[in-house]
Amino acid sequence: MDLPGIVHRAGGALLGTLQHVRIPGVGQASVTDDPATSARRWRAVTVLRDQAAVGTPEAPPPPLDRFGDRIEVRLTAAPADRGTELAARFRGTPSEAEIGELRAALREAKQLLEVGEVLRVDPQPHGQRKPTPQGAALEGMTEQAPKEGVL
Amino acid sequence: MKAATWTGVNEVSVEDVPEPTILNDHDVILKIRQSVTCGSDLHLIGGYIPFMRAGDVIGHEFLGEVVEVGKEVRDRKVGDRVVVAPFAACGSCWYCKQELYSLCDNGNANPGITEGLWGQGVGGCFGYSHAMGGYAGSHAELMRVPYADVGTFVVPEGVSDTRALFASDAASTGWMGADLAGTEPGDVVAVWGAGGVGQMAARAAMLLGAEQVVVIDRVPERLTQVRTHVGAEAVDYTTTDVVAELRERTGGRGPDVCIEAVGMEAHAPGTPGIYDQVKQQLRLQTDRPTAVREAITACRKGGTVFTLGVFAAMVDKFPLGAAMNKGLTLRGAQVHAQRYIPELLRRMEADELVTEHLATHVMPLGEAPEGYRMFKEKDDGCVRAVFLP
Repeated sequence: MDLPGIVHRAGGALLGTLQHVRIPGVGQASVTDDPATSARRWRAVTVLRDQAAVGTPEAPPPPLDRFGDRIEVRLTAAPADRGTELAARFRGTPSEAEIGELRAALREAKQLLEVGEVLRVDPQPHGQRKPTPQGAALEGMTEQAPKEGVL
Repeated sequence: MKAATWTGVNEVSVEDVPEPTILNDHDVILKIRQSVTCGSDLHLIGGYIPFMRAGDVIGHEFLGEVVEVGKEVRDRKVGDRVVVAPFAACGSCWYCKQELYSLCDNGNANPGITEGLWGQGVGGCFGYSHAMGGYAGSHAELMRVPYADVGTFVVPEGVSDTRALFASDAASTGWMGADLAGTEPGDVVAVWGAGGVGQMAARAAMLLGAEQVVVIDRVPERLTQVRTHVGAEAVDYTTTDVVAELRERTGGRGPDVCIEAVGMEAHAPGTPGIYDQVKQQLRLQTDRPTAVREAITACRKGGTVFTLGVFAAMVDKFPLGAAMNKGLTLRGAQVHAQRYIPELLRRMEADELVTEHLATHVMPLGEAPEGYRMFKEKDDGCVRAVFLP
């Protein structure tokens, strides 16, 4: 049995579940929608750039462009001086994995527009990684983190 | 290279680790000159923030020399002696433009973790767990610093390494507390905690014009430092009823500004302390908020309570009724160091802000495990252990 692999995947799954926990005080990020409604929600980042610099619904900024016509894109001027709201959602009913890819793509698009590059943290210097269940779970969690969250 | 790493709960080691490399065009690589323990590291080391992986390099308050620059770095060059903000901030997002650098939208590569915990992702901090970005920390011979034009600051020639070191976090955090709490000339300011951050918050309040500044702690050496190096008044909470003392000192009003610089592992004498310890050990609360409770009780009506100490998640018996009915402003933040470091360096150069006394124990990086032991146990009057790679 691939126990480390199971724990690794469990860590990633735990991160997704965290948002759905409804214990008072823990579930600030709860998603109480049913899965179909949740999947259809617009997922958005606010980019501190003028709308013209962000793109158009027909020509969204990279890497959103790689989704092609699988997604619809909406651009709206954000209130006050906050830039442009860049939102996207799948036309059909997406899987959890596809939603994760869209979250990561929105975050990357924002970074490319605001900073010009996507932040990297690997490889980093580190000492010996002990093969513990907690460590495997955390690695699963961090691997999944760019694709998870309330976005 | 050598680096101090977290290797398990209450376990720090020194290991051979790979050298860092430039990963982004806005990066620099620093040769670390000095790196210092911070009270918030103890929460990581003690396992209170469960997002550490064995082998993670710790440390987030540091100073170094630039040895390599990425191709998009404009304002730093090889040879610059720089002090660095603990949070990586892009300088381009809306939060950075508001000078709320620790809330940077683009500084944390693992946003899903803090979004799940807190409802919003927050910035990334060096050497401070995978929830805060998974960056390698500064207790090492070399370190990669992203967004270098935004987060590194050249130290003036006349300011020593050890003085400038504390502009990174202790002094910038302390200054932020006094500033964002709205300290005004004539105010009475009370500070809970006489560690590096608390002392710097007290000094900042004095420089911002507070008429009376009182620092509360229990460690004799720290209370002495408050009196001799900061010039503020000191109260030992183990022998004094803090709320009564503050009421008496303020004509019955209470302090205008209360700054909490203790964090999630607060100590307290008697039953309240035992209560919080038991609840935390049983995981019925994640943080011990003893000092925050006392600050809320002590604060004058309409005053401000600012939380500088690091908290992770949930606390129990929080006096929200007092806060609401007394019309308090509650505020807190991780450090927006980029906002304060330039002014701090100017004040350090003018000898208005002195920090060297905080470095009570200076030692080679190889002695980091012993340094953290002394720091945690406050052994030999340890206020901060500074490591020299």
